[in-house]
Amino acid sequence: MMILVTGGSKCGKSCCAESLMNTVDGPKYYLATMIPYGEEAFSAIDRHRIMRADKGFLTVEQYTDIDRVEIPDGSSVLLECLSNLLANEMFRNKKINICSDKIAADILRLKNKTNLLVIVTNQVGYDGICYERGTAGYIAELGRINQKIAANADKVIECVYGIPVILKG
Amino acid sequence: MILITGGAYQGKTAYAQQHFLYPITDGADCSFDTAKTTKMLKNYHILVRRLLECRSDAEAFTHLLCAENPDCVILLDEIGSGIIPMEKSERIWRETVGRCGCILAEKSDTVIRLVCGIPTVIKGKLL
Repeated sequence: MMILVTGGSKCGKSCCAESLMNTVDGPKYYLATMIPYGEEAFSAIDRHRIMRADKGFLTVEQYTDIDRVEIPDGSSVLLECLSNLLANEMFRNKKINICSDKIAADILRLKNKTNLLVIVTNQVGYDGICYERGTAGYIAELGRINQKIAANADKVIECVYGIPVILKG
Repeated sequence: MILITGGAYQGKTAYAQQHFLYPITDGADCSFDTAKTTKMLKNYHILVRRLLECRSDAEAFTHLLCAENPDCVILLDEIGSGIIPMEKSERIWRETVGRCGCILAEKSDTVIRLVCGIPTVIKGKLL
C-alpha cells in the first residue's frame, strides 16, 4: 500500500500522514529527508519531533538514495518529504542533476520493501513566477516525481488548510 | 462559520456575494476589531500580513475571531503552493497563513474551495 499526501505550506500534510500511519500495527519508521542546516530547519525539525512524540515512530535520516535505507522488510514507513529529497539529490555536488526518474525508481523500490509507505510531498508550481533555471527545473522535476508516484499510489490526498481532499483511491 | 478558499481570482468573492447578502469587509484595510464583528470578511491572508506587520500573534487572533465571531463567512486565498520565498518575512507570512487557515477550516462547519469559479465542498454540506 502506498499513499501520497500533497498540499501547500503548513496545511496539515504531516498531521494527515501521521494519522494514516495509525492504521497499522508493528514498527513504524519515520524517514526524514531534511538536512539539519540553519535555524529554520532546526525549528521545523523540532516542531515535527514534538508532533511525532508518543506516536511510536523510529526516526531514520536518509537525505539521498532513499531505497538504501536500512529498515526491516514489511515495515511501515512515513517518508517526509519529497521536496527536500529532490533538493538534496538535484543540487548535490554543486551541479543541477536531472533526477526525477532516479528518485521515482528509488521510491518504488522502497515501496516493495514496505507494508505501508506514506509519502509527503509538496505543491510548488502554483505561484506563476518565472524563476531562474535551477528553480524552474526543480519545480518541473518535483511535478514529474509527484505524477509518477501518484500513478503508482493506491491513494492520493491533497491537504487544503487541514482538510483532506481525496484525489485518488 | 463558513470558509471559502481557493487560489487568487478563482471566483471566491462572486460566489460569496451570490450566496450571502451581507456586506463584505476587506481584510486588506478594515480595523482588526471590525474583522472580529463583521458577518463576511475577505482577504484573510492579507489581514494576517497586517497582523504580522503590527507584531501581533495572528494565530491567537484567529482563535479569538473564531470564538467571538463564530457565524462569520471568511474568504481566504490559498497561497502556500509555490516556491519557498527568499525573504524571511515572506516565509513567515506564508507559513502563518497556512496555520491560520487550518484553524479556520477546523472551526468551520463548511469549507468550500473555488477553482475556476467552480465550488467544491471539501467539508460539511453545500449551501
